[in-house]
Amino acid sequence: MDAHVAQLQMQYRNYILSLYQQGFLDDQFTELKSLQDDGTPDFVAEVLSLFFDDCVKLVGNMARALDQTGTVDFSQVGANVHQLKGSSSSVGAKRVKGLCINFKELCEAKNYEGCVRCLQQVDIEYKTLKAKLQDMFNLEKQIVQAGGIVPQVDIN
Amino acid sequence: KMTVEQDFEAVDQFPVGMRVLAVDDDQTCLRILETLLHRCQYHVTTTDSAQTALELLRENKNKFDLVISDVDMPDMDGFKLLELVGLEMDLPVIMLSAHSDPKYVMKGVKHGACDYLLKPVRIEELKNIWQHVVRKSKFKKMKSIVINDDHSQGNSDQNGVKANRKRKDQFEEVEEEDEERGNENDDPTAQKKPRVLWTRELHNKFLAAVDHLGVEKAQPKKILELMNVDKLTRENVASHLQKFRSALKKITNEANQQANMAAIDSHFMQMSALKGLGGFHNQRQIPLGSGQFHGGAATMRHYPLGRLNSFGGVFPHVSSSLPRNHNDGGYVLQGMPIPPLDDLNNKAFPSFTSQQSSLMVAPNNQLVLQGHQQSSYPSLNPGLSPHFEINKRLDDWSNALLSTNIPQSGVHSKPDALEWNHFCNSDAAQAGFIDPLQMKQQPANNLGPMTDAQLLRSSNPIEGLFVGQQKLENGSMPSNAGSLDDIVNSMTPKEQSQAELFEGDLGFGWHNSSLRTCI
Repeated sequence: MDAHVAQLQMQYRNYILSLYQQGFLDDQFTELKSLQDDGTPDFVAEVLSLFFDDCVKLVGNMARALDQTGTVDFSQVGANVHQLKGSSSSVGAKRVKGLCINFKELCEAKNYEGCVRCLQQVDIEYKTLKAKLQDMFNLEKQIVQAGGIVPQVDIN
Repeated sequence: KMTVEQDFEAVDQFPVGMRVLAVDDDQTCLRILETLLHRCQYHVTTTDSAQTALELLRENKNKFDLVISDVDMPDMDGFKLLELVGLEMDLPVIMLSAHSDPKYVMKGVKHGACDYLLKPVRIEELKNIWQHVVRKSKFKKMKSIVINDDHSQGNSDQNGVKANRKRKDQFEEVEEEDEERGNENDDPTAQKKPRVLWTRELHNKFLAAVDHLGVEKAQPKKILELMNVDKLTRENVASHLQKFRSALKKITNEANQQANMAAIDSHFMQMSALKGLGGFHNQRQIPLGSGQFHGGAATMRHYPLGRLNSFGGVFPHVSSSLPRNHNDGGYVLQGMPIPPLDDLNNKAFPSFTSQQSSLMVAPNNQLVLQGHQQSSYPSLNPGLSPHFEINKRLDDWSNALLSTNIPQSGVHSKPDALEWNHFCNSDAAQAGFIDPLQMKQQPANNLGPMTDAQLLRSSNPIEGLFVGQQKLENGSMPSNAGSLDDIVNSMTPKEQSQAELFEGDLGFGWHNSSLRTCI
């Protein structure tokens, strides 16, 4: 096991820990990782892919719903938020989920300005997460290509 | 026809390969759910549309054992699906939702849901769902046994006694020690006083009455009037109401707590992100490891209809339990004759009744009421009596199981290749049973490679430490964990080295494909 691999692994561990520490991920993500095994080595990546596809779709729906010149259908917005909340909580996307909780309240209060702002935040947040996770996967790839194994990271 | 003994054999093997139909229009959640269910060794069919689900079920209702469905779906209200499935196919249905609001739980209960799980669903919760199927099927079998064994009391007693013992062993911890029942569970002959068994039907009437009057305002006397059930007393209703209210309160508090914690946490996180503060991870503060927290985690996140049901009513299994001491002719908990129920059905009560009345066919099946001497009903098999109730004890029982290191070993005790072959013609069947045991492992060394020895060690699988990709000595890691875009673009092709990995390793490879394809 050469120093290069060890260094990459260290980097990886720290990176993962920071993602948790900064609240990007929560223990549901841990659960997701635990479901991945040799038989389903792409599981996490697949699920996250689906999730980010969902984000694109739902954010698009919400943007359209909020972009009405007439009356905004807040229940429509709310329905999309609800869905996003469900999926973000299922993958452990903690910040996105947190935003959804606020967003829901804003919808119920029919707070247009608030909703628009919140939607922008959601948009930024999921894209940020996507970039972070991409980096994580890249690190994994590097480790493997350097002949090492991707370490399990003990969150606690 | 199966004897009672054979019935129990089937129960032992049953959870493995149980056929689940999973319905959720959210593709992310559906994919996760599918994988979780596979991990529980169920056979899974998925669909993102309630309409399709119904069609699949109608096509062949014997194709599935249980349905899990999200409640918020665009093409059909999940509650509607629930109702239809219950009515047409009489299959257990579990609801899934991201709504923690108790009113949704109530709605699910009223529409006949066996259980209500909050997203994100955890695997621990899914590990127990098979029990809903057992209860329903037990009930059906007992119906036929009762009807057929009218005149063979002697024989059935004998079998019954044996079965009773075995059943008690199996379900003993499941039985709740309700104050009403006290410790009579352990001594079937010492029925001290007549008591009411809150069957699903009875409980539903109760619910309807409460709903009509309003949860806050409902009073036992008025509830009793509305329920119009013979021989039920105000005291029965009063104590039931008290329990109901306290359970509802507890659920509401938990739901609020969870929502609050989430909101607080997210605010906190955004503020402290740069400071790198700790203590955020587990907003639920639920260590995954210990058995007792299974109950905790479950109660926080999943509306334990078992708890609502601790007063007996909601689940079919309750109705399936026969009165304990019918033999002594004393305080027999006696089924109410059916006609009055039909009268009730005709009154302006909500729609659940039609679903329930089908459960009332068996003569012994109760609205179990007090102080009625057993007279006209056939002597019932004492062995089939005990309570199957899902209730809080269910969690305890599963805790007991889970905390003994090897999950489900008490549940499907014959992890052999034959069972798997029965369900899926797989040669690597044996490996399937290794999988859940090794799935979650203690990381002995975060930096070093996982040796084969480490991989094979079976640690407490409940410790929720995630397992990263593992390396086997003879190959490199599947290196297709590239960027997300890469993965999206090249989902399927597996690399050569990875294919080799599947050969001599723990045989996880079969896991996905065979369970998915075999029906």
